[in-house]
Amino acid sequence: MSSKRTILVVEDEASICNFITTILHSNGYTAVVAGSASQAKSMISSYCPDLILLDLGLPDMDGLDFLSSVRQWCHTPIIVVSARTHESEKVQALDLGADDYITKPFGISELTARIRTALRHADQVVSSAGVPASRFSAGDLMVDLDKRLVTVAGKEIHFTQIEFKIIALLCQHAGKVLTYDYILKQIWGPYAVNDNQILRVNMANIRRKLEENPASPKYILTELGVGYRMLENQ
Amino acid sequence: MGKFELSLTDFVKTAGLLLAAYAACRLLQPLTGAENNTALIFVLAVVIISRITKGYLYGIFASLVSMFCINYFFTYPYSQFNFSLSGYPVSFLTLFAVSTTVCALTAQAKRQTELAVDREKQAKELFELNQKLSEEQQEIRMVAEQEKIRNNLLRAISHDLRTPLTSIFGSSSTLLTDSTEALSNNSKKLLADIRDDSEWLIRMIENLLIVTKISSSPTALKKTEEAAEEIVAEAVSQTKKRYPKLEVTAHVPDQLLFVPMDPILIEQVLINLLENAIRHSGDTSHILLDVEKDGDYAVFAVSDRGRGLTEEILKMLEKGKLQSLNTGGDSTRGMGIGLSVCQSIVQAHNGYFKAENSRSGGAVFRFGLPLTTQKEETP
Repeated sequence: MSSKRTILVVEDEASICNFITTILHSNGYTAVVAGSASQAKSMISSYCPDLILLDLGLPDMDGLDFLSSVRQWCHTPIIVVSARTHESEKVQALDLGADDYITKPFGISELTARIRTALRHADQVVSSAGVPASRFSAGDLMVDLDKRLVTVAGKEIHFTQIEFKIIALLCQHAGKVLTYDYILKQIWGPYAVNDNQILRVNMANIRRKLEENPASPKYILTELGVGYRMLENQ
Repeated sequence: MGKFELSLTDFVKTAGLLLAAYAACRLLQPLTGAENNTALIFVLAVVIISRITKGYLYGIFASLVSMFCINYFFTYPYSQFNFSLSGYPVSFLTLFAVSTTVCALTAQAKRQTELAVDREKQAKELFELNQKLSEEQQEIRMVAEQEKIRNNLLRAISHDLRTPLTSIFGSSSTLLTDSTEALSNNSKKLLADIRDDSEWLIRMIENLLIVTKISSSPTALKKTEEAAEEIVAEAVSQTKKRYPKLEVTAHVPDQLLFVPMDPILIEQVLINLLENAIRHSGDTSHILLDVEKDGDYAVFAVSDRGRGLTEEILKMLEKGKLQSLNTGGDSTRGMGIGLSVCQSIVQAHNGYFKAENSRSGGAVFRFGLPLTTQKEETP
């Protein structure tokens, strides 16, 4: 019998806590609730949750400050809950070590999907000890990282070196959002210029090769103002 | 006043002073006896006359009379005129010079006084004008302050409204998907309505929040170069979350089009237009979202195959009177706010916004965003 995963919900609004914990329970998770940053800190130590859902609007401490202080000693996956039009907040959270974010109002399926992805990535890191998987597939897309081969519905598509590197990076973090900055630094190095135009142009080219209609992409999704996300492999 | 206008007052003054001088001389004659003093007294009279009368006339007249007086009454030979002595022309000329000089000085002094009075009047007017202007400025500043306060209040309220709405939406969605609860079909329908309405309210609040963001600082809009196709894709996927049956045909130019914009705001414009198309045309299929480059503009067009816009609505859109669009019941609910937000956002980007009926009968909403970020002129 596999033990249930524990998720710590850090949220001060009781009504929002209620429906989140209901969703978590019906999806087979154990939910524990902290109503403030200080409560959360002690609960992380005592419960050792598998994942933390952190609302950035906490009463006693700035959510981002809490995030950065927790990340100094805790590597549990963290999903931040933010509002729409707070893009810079989301980017900051991701830069400070959050694994993903979810925007209020969020759909149930969206929340459970993000939780699943975050847990899966955490497991992968642990199980394969950092060695990335060699093959990735989602929908009709198949990426072979060793052979540097990309096919869509069996048909091979050719990409430039940079383009392939970007695709590989997205695949390795499939389902998770990657910020523009993160991608720039990973592909072009830590001293890359902060202008993300070059990334946009590359993404546009990738999209045109990969997707049927660049205006309705299936595989590489845009998170406006934040970055990109690759469709998760089912 | 001309130099040679006659005035009774002045004549009386002149006569009076001359008489006084004569009387003084007569009185002093036995005391001093010196001729110089008579001249001096008359000079004094001439000076005073010149000072207190208007123009040169009285002064000159007084000089003449004084000269005759001195000659006739107080100089040898007494009680008769004798101009043969060589000193007289000089005396007369001196008197004349004294009188004219004093008259001139008086006139100048008067002019200067008038000027000073004028200047003071001008200064007063300027001061009052300045006061009025600074009052107006104060008013403008106060109005701006009030706007700012109102915006902040609106933002705070909207923010506070978002939280309970999130829980209403979340709780109702959870009840609907929670398979352990046994719900009748009717209950499910009611819950679905709660969820849909709360989601609609959340969207409206987002629109309101955007409006406060824009109106508080219209020129501080932060534009970044964004790929048109990414905005389109995101707007479509966001709208699909609310209307899963949505079928949109989105089309972007083959050549990657970068447009300077605030991505969240333009995404909101597209979401509003798409939702409008769905609600207004009553149809979730056959909606087209097109982007193309037209000269210096990136033009976005959302068209549907619905009933099209009535003349009335088109006119209101042209005039910008969008608030009155919310009168037609459910199908136009939120249209006014949604479209006015679209207009505000596009205007803040220095773009244009148009609505018309397409040839196939449906409505087309089109907006253009400038591709170059030239210096933005204040409207």
